[in-house]
Amino acid sequence: MAAVTEAARAPRSSMLGVKLREAGWGYAFVLVPMAVFGLFFIYPFAYMLYISFHHWGILGNQGSAGWSNYHDVLSDPIFHTALKNIFEYTVGVVPLEMALGLSLALVVNSKIRGRNFFRSAFYFPSIASSVAITTIALYIFNANGLFNRIFGFHTPWFTTASTDTWAIVGLNAWTTSGTIMLWYLAALQAIPTDVYEAAALDNTGAWRTFWRITFPLLRPAHFFVLVVFGVGALKLFDQSYIASGGSGGPNYSLYNPVIYIYRRAFAGGAGDFGHAAAAGVVYFLIILALTIVQRLTVGRQEAQ
Amino acid sequence: MRKPLLVCLALAAVVALVATAAQAGTHKAKVTNVTLAGWSSGPDEDQLLNQVIAKFNATHPTIHATFSVINGDYATAMTARFAAHNPPDVFYVDSSVAPGWAAQGVLEPLNSYIKKSKYDTSKFYPRLLNAFTIGGKVYGFPKDWSPLAMEISNAAIAKVGGKAPKNWAQLQALAQKMAAENAVPNGKPICLSADWARLLPFVFQNGGSLSNIQSAAVKQAVNFYVGLIQKGLAQTPDKLGAGWCGEALGKQSAGIIFEGNWLLPYMSSTYPQVKYGIYPMVKQKTGGNLGFTVSYSLAKDSKNKQAAWTLLSWLTSKQGQTLWISKGLALPSRSDVKAIGGRQAFLSAAPYVHGWGFPNFSTAYSIMNNDLSAVITGSKSVDQMLADAANAMKG
Repeated sequence: MAAVTEAARAPRSSMLGVKLREAGWGYAFVLVPMAVFGLFFIYPFAYMLYISFHHWGILGNQGSAGWSNYHDVLSDPIFHTALKNIFEYTVGVVPLEMALGLSLALVVNSKIRGRNFFRSAFYFPSIASSVAITTIALYIFNANGLFNRIFGFHTPWFTTASTDTWAIVGLNAWTTSGTIMLWYLAALQAIPTDVYEAAALDNTGAWRTFWRITFPLLRPAHFFVLVVFGVGALKLFDQSYIASGGSGGPNYSLYNPVIYIYRRAFAGGAGDFGHAAAAGVVYFLIILALTIVQRLTVGRQEAQ
Repeated sequence: MRKPLLVCLALAAVVALVATAAQAGTHKAKVTNVTLAGWSSGPDEDQLLNQVIAKFNATHPTIHATFSVINGDYATAMTARFAAHNPPDVFYVDSSVAPGWAAQGVLEPLNSYIKKSKYDTSKFYPRLLNAFTIGGKVYGFPKDWSPLAMEISNAAIAKVGGKAPKNWAQLQALAQKMAAENAVPNGKPICLSADWARLLPFVFQNGGSLSNIQSAAVKQAVNFYVGLIQKGLAQTPDKLGAGWCGEALGKQSAGIIFEGNWLLPYMSSTYPQVKYGIYPMVKQKTGGNLGFTVSYSLAKDSKNKQAAWTLLSWLTSKQGQTLWISKGLALPSRSDVKAIGGRQAFLSAAPYVHGWGFPNFSTAYSIMNNDLSAVITGSKSVDQMLADAANAMKG
């Protein structure tokens, strides 16, 4: 009896040792990335929380502020405008870039001549600098620009309050479509060919095949793109900054939360870091809430 | 296996130590390095300032000054440098941000240096020096300045046979004539920005002031300015296919603009074929203009304050400023330095100049300009804008 337990115990304890050692190696491997994550994400975030409860100038802490920074930001009509603008933009840009990305993916996934050329060509706007692209777009779409000369308009599209958000929607849908195309392309190639063969046997038309087979099978890709590019759209900055010269104007039409934070902290040497940090925390919580809602709705369906 | 590595490391450490020691040895000549930072309008200005600094270095063997250009968003870049306690020793400060930075404690008051070295500040134009004097403390010396003037395209004014307007009614009449005779075929007679830095002179001309911004005088001035656009006599530069009114004049899409001395080097380098005249700003009830000025200031966190003061006081001295003004890129801020020729329209504005800036500047300026663009398109009332502005300047 004793010998049996002894014999049974020995391998078990050595198995435990192996497991521990494996776990140890595992932790050792994640230690470096975790340290980087802690140093560059967790620590600054905690520090931002701390700053948001203080009057904080260029040279640092000027005393406790309680909730006053939060109160000021939440009651600031410009912050409300900034939120309204960014939601409008996101609701406009995400469906457009997804549709564009999916269409491009379908094109380059089909057996057309010069497929590789199109793959690179469609992806190109994604790797070009957003600053360069925006600057050139400003030239093309200015009052006497190429676009207006061809189509006979006189509107400076990026600096008119009623059109500038949509001009940036169009520009960014185009520049991000290449990256979205890549994700959809990978997902398209992961769809097993036998479902298409079955559809072909049933004489299903191309349109019906797309909506009944391809589109539903791409659901994981839809969810991924929606989350990643939805959050990406909420972080809009460069294009608005360049088109408005950093002012968020005309008439606040290009103001968005990141511009708001930037203006509070840096623009014109403002140095109002307490308010900027509070606005950052508020905006983080809004994005977090949106992501949770998205996971609970779209994400749950996807898991099923 | 590990020993050679250790030996290598030890050797490397020794080499590094020796190298540092050797470098420290060469520093025994006791040259203090001083850094100077500012923005630049282009290669001409860079070159000129570097010449001025070379002259300083040649005459001050114990100090070595170097200039670095911070282009783009200067105030943002400087805010980051201040926050890191690593600012340049001497740097440009625009009059609009000076009160904010003084309050934040990043600028060194110069009073004790002035006293110790018996520096004569009486030669600076008082209105310009006042822009950097806050609560009795001097936070910088104006390096130069410029007011606005009225620039009119020779071709446009010749076509209607008019002469330069002196008041609002004449300005409007000239613009109407230009419009009627299509003197500016590719644009509008006047270019006006949606910018309080261009609107304010008209406010001052009508006897208005920033401290009483909701007064009838201010409202009337805004209505005149915006009215020119709404009557089709003027347009904002973006609608004229330009980034600013100077570019609109260059592209001949505006006949009349209101810009400062910075227009002159820009036009001669970018649009040398466009001929234009420079006239004093229009007047109404009184003369009114803005004085844009920039100082050389000292960083509170500078590690070489004495040497930095030597540089600052030399650059703003008669000798330093005479060199700096020699190419006409700016107007002198000292009464004992003469501007180069052709600047009379600017210099005549001196008695009517108000310093550029107001309380809670960065936030208020953004609100006021956004509101002004809304007033121009008719989506906000003048009263609402002035109420917002009064509120924003309270902070």
